Amino acid sequence: MRVLNLAWRNVFRHRRRTLITAAAISVGLAVMIYMDTMMNGVDSLAAGNIIDYETGHLEIFAKGYYREEGLFPLDTIIENPEFILQRITKIKNIKGVTPRVKFQCRINNGIDELPVLGIGIDIEKESKVFKTANTVVKGEYLKNQDDILIGKDLAKDMDLDVGSFLTIITRDRHGTYEAYDFTVSGLINTGHPLLDRNAAVMHIDIAQRLLSMHGITELCIKTRDENKLIQLKKEIASKIGKNFEVYTYKELNAGIFEISGLKRSGQFMIALVVVIIAAVGIINTMLMAVMERIPEIGMLKAMGFGNYNIVKMFIYEGGIIGIFGSLFGCFLGLLASFHLVYYGIDLSHMLENMDMVYPVKFIIKGEINYMIVLGVFIFGVVVSVIVTLWPVRKATKLEPVEALRHV
Amino acid sequence: MVEMIDLYKDYKVGKVLFPALRGINLKIENGEFTAIAGPSGSGKTTLLNIIGCLDIPTKGDVLIDGTSITTLSTKEKAEFRKNELGFVFQTFNLIPVLTAYENIEMPLILVNMPAEEKKERVISMLEEVGLEEFINRKSNEMSGGQQQRVAIARALVKKPSMVLADEPTANLDSVNAKEILSLMKELNKKKKTTFIFSTHDQLVMEFAERIIYLRDGKIATDKKK
Repeated sequence: MRVLNLAWRNVFRHRRRTLITAAAISVGLAVMIYMDTMMNGVDSLAAGNIIDYETGHLEIFAKGYYREEGLFPLDTIIENPEFILQRITKIKNIKGVTPRVKFQCRINNGIDELPVLGIGIDIEKESKVFKTANTVVKGEYLKNQDDILIGKDLAKDMDLDVGSFLTIITRDRHGTYEAYDFTVSGLINTGHPLLDRNAAVMHIDIAQRLLSMHGITELCIKTRDENKLIQLKKEIASKIGKNFEVYTYKELNAGIFEISGLKRSGQFMIALVVVIIAAVGIINTMLMAVMERIPEIGMLKAMGFGNYNIVKMFIYEGGIIGIFGSLFGCFLGLLASFHLVYYGIDLSHMLENMDMVYPVKFIIKGEINYMIVLGVFIFGVVVSVIVTLWPVRKATKLEPVEALRHV
Repeated sequence: MVEMIDLYKDYKVGKVLFPALRGINLKIENGEFTAIAGPSGSGKTTLLNIIGCLDIPTKGDVLIDGTSITTLSTKEKAEFRKNELGFVFQTFNLIPVLTAYENIEMPLILVNMPAEEKKERVISMLEEVGLEEFINRKSNEMSGGQQQRVAIARALVKKPSMVLADEPTANLDSVNAKEILSLMKELNKKKKTTFIFSTHDQLVMEFAERIIYLRDGKIATDKKK
């Protein structure tokens, strides 16, 4: 018989109370794990959509372009992309490079007109960096010069379909209005709201013709090893000189990743509230345990138990409840997370008519971070032990004679 | 030997002072089987608590084998209780989640002793109090008399020099009370352990070798048989 054995027996004195307290911890921790899994999934999906459809891992701009990217300044474009391609072609970590021309334009179906992002692509090189070609859900990829791809959502908004005619209206490099008639060759459904709702994809030479220019707005790069992205960025920057700028997808979407950080803070706050509620449950349980065992504490002290052993006993009790609650919480959290990993949550109905800044839609699948699960388990146990200290103080302050007299 | 020198104890309730002991001078020799008797409020429990280092006197001193226990620190008192004293309470105070064996083993948690020796001691105590068949019973599966036997075994398992029992038979019927007292006396003779117990039960007094009768915090009579 040791203090730990005694604590173990004490924990099961009131099984129902112990179970309810442990369950409160479990729910709190399960929520924490589930939310983390969901956020990891959302972040991963968002990053994937950005990399696969919007920017690639890295983008090269002419110096000064990115500062005014929102304005699509056509006077600071890459006039001679071949110069850059020659210089970076031997870098091993580059998997693919493709040029793009992005510009502001309006799409007109003869009745309605909407502002969209025009994207001119090189259909041969595009697939080395982006997955746009794989997302055609109706019709076919760009073939003829006047073919255009639009998102499924945009087609719905504009009442367009494969084979429909539309006009793209924009201002060229000199500020002159230009228009071009296209035939919708295919509808894409990427899962990235920017592409699906707000963009029109066309041949790069048509885009250049519309804008009266020969250059491109950006070169998009896909790397073989994302872990060495910063290293690759530096290597490219050193090779292409000071007239160009290189940015990672995270730098280009700093706002989105900042939102992700904020969401994580919000998620942590919610989980913290749940854990605080659970902690109050432990305090309550331990306080009741101390109160109803005052004569017993007196007896133990009379036997020669010092405060050290009394504190140890109650801390073990809080710890045992914490371990059980945390273990079950992790189990519950993982169970719910596995569902999220394999089946996901379908947000398409919820986000269908919503203008999302965040580049995700459809089914969001989770990603379990096992280090977080371990951290959450340790957190649960530590919180359980720490909050036990307060009720235990009462036990240590009891004089044996007063405790024995207690009825 | 326990020696009480001019012992006073006052309790303060609000602003009112209640004297519990008023100048007790007493010597109890090792191996005595002594009853401290008296009506309720006469100071019996207070006296036992002071001897047991559970309470401190307002004035005076208590020497146990020449050591003043009033000067000991809280930690030293706990150590003293652990090594030298055993307690038996009126309400048995067994831990309900533990078996008879485990309750008796409790005080040995604090003692550095091989597990085998602990086991031998506990089994031997169970046999001495006649509860070898109740080894795995919890307190709610035993009668009051059996519970008090476990409490006595628990008090004696670490071989203390003195056992203090506060009204040990108050919650027992006369048959069980007699059995408990016979057991205590038998153990007192066998182990030479000093037994001091408080009581206001005539039956208990019949068993005692010495009866110290308290009235209003003072020794009214001190009779040895």
